Amino acid sequence: MSGANTDSGLVGPISAARSALPTLSELSRSNRSLLLMAPLLVFEVLIFVVPFAILLRISLTDGSSDHVYEPGTWSLESYATVFNSDLLHSIILYSFVLGAIVTVLSVLIGLFYAYAIWRSSGVVTSLLLLSVVMPLLTTLVIRTYAFNPLLSPTGTVNDVLLSVGLLSEPIQFVPATVGAIVGQLYIVLPYAVLAIYSVMATMDWGLVEAARDLGASRPRSFVEVVLPQVMPGIIVAAVISFAWSVGAYAAPDLLSNGITFAVHAEDLMIGDMRYSLAAALSVVMLVLMLVSVAIISAVLNFFGGDFDLA
Amino acid sequence: MHRETLETLAFRTGYLTLFALLLLPLLVVVATSFAASGRLAFPPESYSLVWYGEFFGDVRWLTAFENSIIVGVGTAILATVLGVLAAFGQEIDDGSRIGSIVGPLVLIPLLIPPVILGITLLMYFSELGIRGSYVTLVLAHTLWATPLVYFVMRSVFSRFDWQQLDAAADLGAGPIQSFVHVVLPNVKQGVFVGGLLAFIISLQEFVMALFLSTASTETIPVLAWTEIRQALDPMVSVVSTFLILFSLVALVLAALATNLEWVSRQLS
Repeated sequence: MSGANTDSGLVGPISAARSALPTLSELSRSNRSLLLMAPLLVFEVLIFVVPFAILLRISLTDGSSDHVYEPGTWSLESYATVFNSDLLHSIILYSFVLGAIVTVLSVLIGLFYAYAIWRSSGVVTSLLLLSVVMPLLTTLVIRTYAFNPLLSPTGTVNDVLLSVGLLSEPIQFVPATVGAIVGQLYIVLPYAVLAIYSVMATMDWGLVEAARDLGASRPRSFVEVVLPQVMPGIIVAAVISFAWSVGAYAAPDLLSNGITFAVHAEDLMIGDMRYSLAAALSVVMLVLMLVSVAIISAVLNFFGGDFDLA
Repeated sequence: MHRETLETLAFRTGYLTLFALLLLPLLVVVATSFAASGRLAFPPESYSLVWYGEFFGDVRWLTAFENSIIVGVGTAILATVLGVLAAFGQEIDDGSRIGSIVGPLVLIPLLIPPVILGITLLMYFSELGIRGSYVTLVLAHTLWATPLVYFVMRSVFSRFDWQQLDAAADLGAGPIQSFVHVVLPNVKQGVFVGGLLAFIISLQEFVMALFLSTASTETIPVLAWTEIRQALDPMVSVVSTFLILFSLVALVLAALATNLEWVSRQLS
């Protein structure tokens, strides 16, 4: 052995290496944090950012010649198809209308249910929360599938309505747009409730009581005191409901005959292997969605500011 | 006074109805799994365990179950490692530019419709030539599971006592040593809950899996989807009941683990 290291065996090099490593507090803080965040950053770049760059690239390849996408080509043909096809226009419109209806319902019902959870106490709170979390534990395939025996013409809802005498003939809820709306609402409602409830839970009930003592009616105290404070939760609920419902796949496919963009895109990808067109349609949908989400949150923010009591 | 009681009554009826409606589809699933006939009706005309017997004799379902577990465990491990490290890094970050993009970057995938993510990743993995393995499913599910781990850990680390790290450093602990022996033991409940959420997310996820799985790697939701589109039969209800039970047991275990920890801390 040579040099200053007089320790025998492996211990020497290891302890030397160890003392050469800076301690956690010696290493500069920003270097440490960068090192710790690096794996996630690398992952997000490789599995999220780069794939979207490739989606964009594939949307710009020549998809017109035949059904297979051709690497290396450049063409706006697929975008032209999206902008010119009446079929695609009606599909996109249908997706947005479905998304808008489900979003409005999910925010209104979510607001009401979150308020009920907030105002309840003890076991009731736990039960109401459980009813929101339980559906989340079930895959959306199954959540959607359960509506068939309930809503079909020979299903439970029709049976009950017929036997009570409210109906003389069964209504076809599925397959129909009503079924898709109900199914999709059931998928997004739990997230809406939790988003709104998480904000409500931090609110001070005393403010509502004060408003009532000053003579505000229940609805008025709700609109003027509760609503402005939960606006951040409402925005999150609206954005989540909207993004997922415009992109709805399972509920429309299983419960309705209406074709959403997601159902059509799956057909293009898996059925027809038209990569370029599927990519272009996805890019257009993403842009339309981002614009809508920006508008929704701007509008809600505006109302949030308007209702502000301060 | 009279109007107030009417309002209260309407309010109660309203949320109790919603409560029932939220649980009704799950009740349908569990009840139909015990149906004696192959026709899907709620409530079933007669009950039997015949479809449960079918499940345990069906190689396709058992394989799908195995696939789901493999992908779920893989997702839980990857998402937990990425989420815990990033949340810790974010916590000790003193306002670097990269630190400020980590939060949005990890959150955005949750807001993109899974169909678009599925299409995008299918094209990407096809280009890379790694289609149809467990790896592609784990990577896709990790995209959705990591935000959950990340946000759970952010809130856990916000309550962490940072002086412990300085103490460890004074005693000569290296960075990895202090992380393993000081930080991790303090936050292991959060790590466990985050990992469990990641596992459950992966177990339930279906749209991305529909695009990325092949016949040999199809998960339970994907197989359920294929079966449902062919015919509605109680077998899917059986599988769903197992899936519900599985997630519920996992959650109860998590609650117990965190509570037992709390109890033992009170006793010591």
